[in-house]
Parts: sequence; structure tokens; C-alpha cells
Amino acid sequence: MDASAAVMNYPRRDARDKLSGRTRYTVDRSRPGMLHGAILRAQAAPARIVRLDVSAAEATPGVRAVITGRDAPGLHGIGVADQPLFAIDLIRHQAEPLAAVAADTMEIAKAALAAIRIETEPLPAAVTMEQALRPDAPLVHPDWTSYEVLFEGGGRSGNIAWEATVVRGDAEAAFSRPDVAIVESNFRIGRQNHLAFEPRAVIASYEDGRYHIETSTQVPWTVRNVTARVLQIPASSVRVTVPPVGGGFGLKFDCALEPFAALLARKSGRPVKLVNSRQEEMLTCLCRENAELRIRSAVTGDGEIVGREAVVLMDCGAYGGEQIFLTTMTAHTLLGNYRLGSVKLVSRAIYTHTAPNGAFRACNGVYNTFALERHTDEIAARIGMDPLAFRRRNVLGAGDLGATGQVFEGDALGPMLDRMAAVKASRPSRKAQAGRRLYGQATTVGTWFVFVGPSAATINLHSDGSASVITSGVEIGSGTMVQAVPQIVAAELGLRPEDVIVRAADTDAAGYDVGVGGGRTTVSLGAASRAAAIEVRRKLLAVASQMLQTPAEKLELRDGRIEIAGIRGSGTTIAKVAQRAQELLGPLSGVGAFTNSPVVSQPGCARGHFIEALEIPIFAVHDCEVAVEPETGHVEVLSYTVVQDVGRALNPRAIASQIQGGVAQGLGYALHEEITLDEQGRIRQTNLETYRVPLATDVVPVEIHLHEGAPSRGPLGAKGAGEVPILNVAATVGCAVARAIDRRVEQIPLTPPRVLAMILDKAPAVRLPHIAERWEDNVLPRPARKS
Amino acid sequence: MSISLTINGETHATNRDPLTPLVDVLRDDLALTGAKAVCREGFCGACTVLMDGQPVVSCLLPIASAAGRDIRTVEALSDGGELSPLQKALEQHDVVQCGMCFPGMTVALTSFLASNPNPTREQVKQSLVGNICRCTGYERIIDAVLAHAQAMQGGG
Amino acid sequence: MAEAVAAVEEGATPLAGATWILRSPIRDEKLAGSYVAVSGLAELRAIETGDREIAIGAAVTHASLCAALNGSADCAALVQAAGAAANPAIRNVATIGGNLCAFSFAASDLAPALIALDAQAEIYGVSGPERKPIETFLAARAHLARGWLLTRLLVPRNGRISAHARLPLRKAGDYPVAIVSVSAKRSSDRTLRSVRIAVGSVEPVARRWPALERALEGRSLDPEEAAEAARERVGDFQGRDGVEAPGWYRMQVLPKLVRAAMCGVLAQA
Repeated sequence: MDASAAVMNYPRRDARDKLSGRTRYTVDRSRPGMLHGAILRAQAAPARIVRLDVSAAEATPGVRAVITGRDAPGLHGIGVADQPLFAIDLIRHQAEPLAAVAADTMEIAKAALAAIRIETEPLPAAVTMEQALRPDAPLVHPDWTSYEVLFEGGGRSGNIAWEATVVRGDAEAAFSRPDVAIVESNFRIGRQNHLAFEPRAVIASYEDGRYHIETSTQVPWTVRNVTARVLQIPASSVRVTVPPVGGGFGLKFDCALEPFAALLARKSGRPVKLVNSRQEEMLTCLCRENAELRIRSAVTGDGEIVGREAVVLMDCGAYGGEQIFLTTMTAHTLLGNYRLGSVKLVSRAIYTHTAPNGAFRACNGVYNTFALERHTDEIAARIGMDPLAFRRRNVLGAGDLGATGQVFEGDALGPMLDRMAAVKASRPSRKAQAGRRLYGQATTVGTWFVFVGPSAATINLHSDGSASVITSGVEIGSGTMVQAVPQIVAAELGLRPEDVIVRAADTDAAGYDVGVGGGRTTVSLGAASRAAAIEVRRKLLAVASQMLQTPAEKLELRDGRIEIAGIRGSGTTIAKVAQRAQELLGPLSGVGAFTNSPVVSQPGCARGHFIEALEIPIFAVHDCEVAVEPETGHVEVLSYTVVQDVGRALNPRAIASQIQGGVAQGLGYALHEEITLDEQGRIRQTNLETYRVPLATDVVPVEIHLHEGAPSRGPLGAKGAGEVPILNVAATVGCAVARAIDRRVEQIPLTPPRVLAMILDKAPAVRLPHIAERWEDNVLPRPARKS
Repeated sequence: MSISLTINGETHATNRDPLTPLVDVLRDDLALTGAKAVCREGFCGACTVLMDGQPVVSCLLPIASAAGRDIRTVEALSDGGELSPLQKALEQHDVVQCGMCFPGMTVALTSFLASNPNPTREQVKQSLVGNICRCTGYERIIDAVLAHAQAMQGGG
Repeated sequence: MAEAVAAVEEGATPLAGATWILRSPIRDEKLAGSYVAVSGLAELRAIETGDREIAIGAAVTHASLCAALNGSADCAALVQAAGAAANPAIRNVATIGGNLCAFSFAASDLAPALIALDAQAEIYGVSGPERKPIETFLAARAHLARGWLLTRLLVPRNGRISAHARLPLRKAGDYPVAIVSVSAKRSSDRTLRSVRIAVGSVEPVARRWPALERALEGRSLDPEEAAEAARERVGDFQGRDGVEAPGWYRMQVLPKLVRAAMCGVLAQA
């Protein structure tokens, strides 16, 4: 098949209803007899539950079900099963669920919550990672040793939920070389809230002995499996379907309200709707985690990085969740981009008595890239080398070793830097626009990946010449399920994309899927769909070959027809062939599957990693110019330019939309958005007055250049394009601001008060006394690995 | 006490508390779920409706204050299923993503363009200061709005 | 009007645009037991331009104030304040009176603008209407005995030129962390006469900046000099710490805002 047949600016088919307000997201849906659910959440943490009495709630007229931890005994988690559905005995974070009710109206449900009697005893808290790492710190999970470990290999101890390490080469020797400069940088990063417009929402019912969960999620199969786990029921008794999702960004990459609604539905015998209020969303958002980092490099005078060591502390909140997995991604991001002679890295997920964190578009890659690129600028300054020349000299190219010893294929970052340089040379600087403000500019590089994993697809080709694709893919707004997937299938089958129907996710209808996120949708669901289409195509061609008396290899599919190669009008329509096939063989269908294939890392150098090497890396080069108002600390972005590795761009216009949107979200992270915690571990930004995301006046048009041709196992050479645009925004803005104000930028977001404090030298340097001076002292003692 | 509301040209009587936000009546009682209650405090604009032609946030509008006023929701912009010219422009430029903000955004822009048929880029941005979009980064929406405005001018 | 005042006397809370009151649950505040809607009262929605003063009804919205008084030389700072507050949809509903009666709202744009313009608040109680200087009203409003209604704001027409400068953390759309409104009598030689400078959002309640007014009185209108004089006196304020900005920051940015406001005044002089 000619790959170019799949390339087009095919518009979204769901835009019409979305624009006219007719799309029914989960929050817009209801069912006959539906009850309204509500959750009682803890006011303060940590605390011991002395008494939880729900009898008054149960006795409230109109209340149909009340549930507590007794109804959901199972624990779930990623890597370690440490999380219950409700707080049982111990409340570990503010807003942790204590009980839930379903009632005829929301007013009754809220009144019932108010009638629940709860008595608690406060416990000593570990709110910050510094507090949690003290030798005498209160344990967030006193029973941590009893938990089921779901993935082997991580270090664990007390409040250290997970520890992953990378040791490659002889870093000790590198750091003791006489000809190196040793550069050390510290960073502290805040939390970021996704602010998906549709809150987490679900409608559940219990019918014929099975649960039907209709929910706003990115991961229907995780919802199915986690619900089964915490309810201790067979996973096959849970069916998950997903209406259009009003924004995810990683927030909905985990099971959320679904088990509560499922339990309430079973207990009440009625459908139950449960929707988070915006305040609940703010208090329980699975934020991009706050983190603290120390990175140290040994660099020769001519710019060779002979050694790098780093300690990264990631706050997972009260439960491990995604951060346990994300310890893996530190190696590939903080120690990505550049050739390193030797490496020592420890990445730790730390339990604190705060709301759990989670996955957010490019996850820790965003702040690791910020830290790495700022550190890179500090190295360049120290050795007196131009920062861009330093990057050009050191970026990973074909045959170079990554952090974990994998061998990279193809040259991407080098040519992309060259392309950015050419773009910049072709247009004037915006410096004049800065006026009397301070001007700064920076170019940065970034490395992210496709979270490949399993996907399945089934395609039915109907006798009217249309096809339907059945997957567990969810349309969260990125457009993949309404653009890339129908484009790929249509190109393979010679149809128009509008003739390809894509079924909404339903775990009863489609095979397993990891979920929509991690830049994997186009790659994994696209590849599974393509494989299914290839099977249909083969069957179709066999029948057409008979009908047209022509060998299959001499037939072409395009524009809804099967033609003898090169002879337009010689063949017949696909519909006619499908009809004939249906008569001869029965309806035509094909199935496809896709999953990751192992990529080799250097044996023995990575421990506790879920992914030791990147199967499909994605690269990005960003550039921006900023103006900083010296009297107020306001940062204005004057220009923003992206060169992004996309493998092959299947829908360039849709990719541009993802880049503009991802950069805007990155600008929010870099400049405005920060979730902070008070001394009791409570989130201070509980609404949109204090949590400030970029508005139309805060963004600029991003100049976009797509870099095609880097190797990819994705369908037709595609890579994920939606996740990576946010990757180096904070890095680029951070480096540009640091140059503008001539200060060390060690924290983001660069809010006006923070920037002004730096300009006035009122901002104390980031100190991390809980990170030991010697790298080895930050690593758990572990038995030698069995060879 | 019954309150009479005029929504999209139809009269509806409701017995809800006079302080009930209009958005709840639209969504829960009238199945007009185009208006989204995203922040419930007037910052996001996803629940924007027109009151006597002016955009207002229906999450902070008590039904008592809406009584006797002409309320138009996003559903009225594409009456009979035909998208308005502005909506068509947004569809053709392929600027929609998750879509949750677009009903409010479309309502706000419709009113803005009625009084500013030939706006500058900056004026369009200022008109959207009360409409948050978390997906798109705005600029391509503004491109579409400007192209639409220009087309309408050209077309007379 | 009398009915409304009687209802207020009996404990009802006046309700105008409702944009602040409907957010009570989010502030963890209980709704009042009863409300009296005042937006329908014609006398509260009128704007009357007389020879000596402009009378603005308390139920006039931000948007209608801008539409009615745009270009009015006497109200420049007020129009700028009303036109920049919140966002367009809120400005269409939120009223002048509602804004000034939201006691816990420190970031009101209107309050410093009205102080700078030497406006008066008309309060209607059981004994009839009464006028208070706006600054007095703002300082006392939370403690007034029940049973009053803010009915009108009165801006004198005395040849003042004025300007309003605000600092949101984004470009627009959030509440300003600091505000400076300035007015002065028009003079032929560009000296500052009867200068009034009001500062909002820095402290819980907007107020004048007397030391800076004294320092600038009679001096020539030089924004840079005014900023310098402000820099020396930012210690006159005790900035309030908030989730969005620390107190020191609100004070630190005042010279910049003074300069911007003075530039606005200069443009009209």
C-alpha cells in the first residue's frame, strides 16, 4: 500500500455535534431511575478513624444505598497494591473517601453525607518529602511490607514507595578526572493540575449479574480490572463503555470513581451517577507530581560529558500510583538527549500525607527536561561554550548509547537542531518587541517516547462498502480515533475515511488495550487496526481476483473500487466485491493485534525499571524568545517555535492542533500553574480563581515544523504526536528567562512574584538537605542481583 | 412560587428555588446540556448563554434574574440542525478537540462578532478572556474566527 | 425602593447581579436566609449626568457603565476600571453596588477608582437617603447596622483627569494583585493639583495613599518622578498575603502602577 494514501488533513467527524452542544459526554447523560451518588471525603489527614457511623444516612428517606470500606476490601496499585477504595482505619490524605451514598436527588445525597458521624484522632504527619525522608518520619503506610508487589525489582522501604536506579560505566572515575569541571544544579518543581473540562464522572448499573460502567476514562480496561480487584469480583463481570471524553491529559489514565458507582448500583439495584465537583477535582486531581532533583555532571573543557549522576525525588502522595512506574522515565528523560560517558541515577517515589499524584501529558519528562536543559545551560556557561554548540556537539545520534545502554537508531536531534537554526536564520529576532524589558532566548532539546503496549482491533467490511472498526480506543479530544484510525484503515482498504465507522470503546466488544495516552493511540491502535485491515484486504482481494480474473497482486484498491493496476474503470466497486464475498464466504472481517517488542538495554545497569529501553523514542526541539518586565516579573513570550519528530505526519493539520495546544499547556506549567500545599498537606488552589491556566491573551501562535523520516515501528512510520508538544516548554521558557534576568532558574512556574524575587535577589537558592551529598547515600542497600 | 423562563423562544415554568443557577435548569430539567457547568464561578465560560443578546454565565445567573429575559443557548445557534456560519468556519478549520468549551466559546463569539464584525486578532482574544480552552491553545480558533469575519465582510 | 429597604431591614440580603453571592458555596459561606432582588429597581439602574455630578445607580452593570460613560472626561478611571474587571460575561451581569458590597473582595477595581474620583456613596436607610465619602463607606460597610441599601454612586464633575492601572498575574481575566487609581485637577501648566491616589487589592480594603499625594502635590506631572516617590513610600502599606501573591509583591509593584496611572493622566492632560 502507498503510505501517502493515508496522509491528509481529514477533518474531525465529531466537531459538528461538539460545536452545537449536542455531544453527550458522560456528565450530560442520564438513565431512567437513575440515582445521584456523593462521596464523603476526609477533612483532615493523617488521622485514625475511631468511629464511622452511617446509620443516620441509611435511615434518611430517599437514600437507596450507603457504602464504606467494608464493601470494598481489595487493594490496587501500579507496581505495588497499596491503595484501598475507601480509607479503612487510616486516613492518609485530605479528601480521601470515607463513605458514599446514592439517593433519589443530589440534595438528599448531600444531606445523607452530612448525617454520617465520623470521629478521628489526628496522627503525626509527613507532608513534604523532606519530612517523609527523616529517619523518625511517621510512616504513611505502616504495613508497607505486607502489600502485594505486582512488579518485581524496585527498592522499597518505609516512605520510599519505589526506587529505581541506573548505573552504567565508571562514574566515580569520571568525576575524579583532573581535566573535568563538575557542575551541580538543584531544582524544585510544583504540582500541575490537568483541569480537564469534564470532571471524572460515571454512570454505573448492575444488570443480569454484571456491572455496566459508562465512564469518562482514557483506560477502559484498567477501569474494568481495578473495579474487579477492589470489589473482589471476576473481571469478566464488568463491562466498560466510554462516551466522548471531555479532556483527559492523563488525569483519566487511572480508575477513579467507577468502583464507587458500581458498588452503589449493586447495593441499590438502580443506575447511579457520580460526578466530581470542580472542588473535588481540585482536591483529588492526580496532578503531575512535585519533585526535587539534584543533577551533577563531569564535563571536559571541550564539552564532553564524561559522567553524570542524579538523585530525583518524586512525591507520589499517599499512594504510589503512576509515580512508581514513572521512576522509570527519569532515566530516559533526565539522562536523555545527550551522550554520557558514565551514569549514576536514583529515582525515588516518596509517600507523603498528601493527595495522590498521577499521570499528566509527558509526565515527569516535562520537569526532567526542564532540569536537564537548565543544567545544560549551566554547564555551557561554566566551560565557556555556546549553549547551542554544546547541545549540537552532544545530542544523541545513530549508534550512540542511551542512559541504560540502548543503542539509538537514526539521527534525529542533530538534523532537527540544524532545521531550527535555519528557521531562525530566516526571520528577524523579536528582540525589539521587548522594548525596555529584559530579553531572553533559548533553544532546547527533548526526548520522550511512545508507551507502546498491547492493542486489539476487529474490522467488519460490510456489503455496502463501509467498514466498522471495533477497538477499546477512546476519543478524548486528540482526534486519533476520528482521524488517524479511519485514515489508516481507509487507505488500506481503498475506502474514503468517512466510510470507516469507528465504534466507541466497549470492553465487551473489543480486545484488551492499555489505554489512550502515552502517545500510543496512533501507534498501537493504529497498528492493530492496520493489521486487521490487511487481513480484510487479503480476503477481499482473493474474491476480487476471481471476479476480475486477475491475480491479486495486480489489483489496486482506491476510491471505493478495486481496479486492475493502472487501468482506471477496469474493475468493480468494493461494495460489489464485499457482497460477493458475503455470498461465498459470509461477511468479511479481520482481526489485528499489536504490542511492544523488546529493545535491548545494557544488561544489569537498570534496576526497578518497568521499561529499560525506549522502543519508539520521540524527539523535539523548541525555541522561544521572552521579554521580562523587571519591575513586576511578568514574562511575555514573544515567539515560540517547534521542530517535532513525528515519524510520518498522517494528518499534519491535526498534529499542528496538538502542538499549539500542548505548547499552551506547557506555557501554563512554565509560567502560571502551580498547586501548592499548606502545612497540613491541604491543596491551596481549590478553584479557577487561584489556579490560573493560560487564557487566549496569554498564548502566541506557535511556528510549527514537522520532522519526518526518523525510524518508527508505528503504522506507516507514524509516531504519537499529541503528548510530546508539552515536553520542553518549561525547559525552553526556563532557559530563556534565566538568560533574560541573568539568574539561576531552579523552580517553575515562573510566576511574576517568583521572577521578581529572583531579580531582586530575594529568592533563596534551592537547598535539598534531604538529598545526601554522596550519591551512594541516596540509594537503598540491596542484595546483589542474581546473574 | 413559579418562575417563567423564556428559553430559545419557548416559555417554561419552573418551581425551583429562585436562586437556582440557570445552568442547572437548562441541563437537568430541559435537557439542554450544551451549556457545561465546569467551574461554577464565572471563570471558564463553558456555560455561557445569551441574555437579551448579551453573553452571560448561566452558572452565576439565578433563575429569578433570568425571568422575563430572552435566553438563548448554544442549541439555538444551530436551529434545525444547520450550523451557523461561525460554527461552520470552526468545523472547516478543524479546531475542535475535546469540545467541552466550544458551546460557551461559540455563544460568546457569536455575540462578539455581532457587534464587532471586523475585529483585530487582539480584540478577539480580549473577547475570550472569560472562555478557557484547555486543549487547543486558542490561536487556531482565532485564525478561524478571523477568516470567518473576513469572509462575511467580503460576502457583504 | 421603600419595599426593598423594608425587606433589608427585616434581614434580607440585597441581591443584584448575583455573581458574587452564587459563589458562596465555593467560599464555604452559607447562603443568607432570604434575598431581595434589587436589580429590577429602575432608580438603581439609571445613570444621570448632571451639571455638578454623575449619579450611577448601584444596580448598573459594569458593561452598561462603560457603554454609558465611555469618553466622559470626569470618569476616565472608573470606565477603565469597570471595563477591565473580571471578564466580558461577568461584566454584563455584575453590578457596581454588588462589587462594592462584597466585603470580603479585596481586589475590586471599582473601589480605588471611585476613591480617586472623590465619589460619594448614597445609602438608603429607613430614614431616607444619606451620603458618605466612598472611602468612609468602604471602611465602614462591614460594620454598618442592618437595614441599608447602597443606591447610587456620585462622581463629582469638577474637571478631574484620571487613570486606572491594575496588575493581574496573567494579561487579563484574573483579579489584579495590586491597583493604583489616580486623579488630579486639570491644570494649564501640568502641575499636579488636588491629586488623589488610591490603592486597591494591596490591603483588604482600598484606601488613599496620603503620603504620596502630599509628596506629589504641586509637582509637575512626571510619571518617572511619581514612581520614584512611590518607591520610597511602599512601606506605607501592609500587603496582604494570598494564595496568588505574597504581600511584599503587592507593595513592590506599586511604583510601576503609579507610573502607568500617571502616564494615563498625562495622556489626558
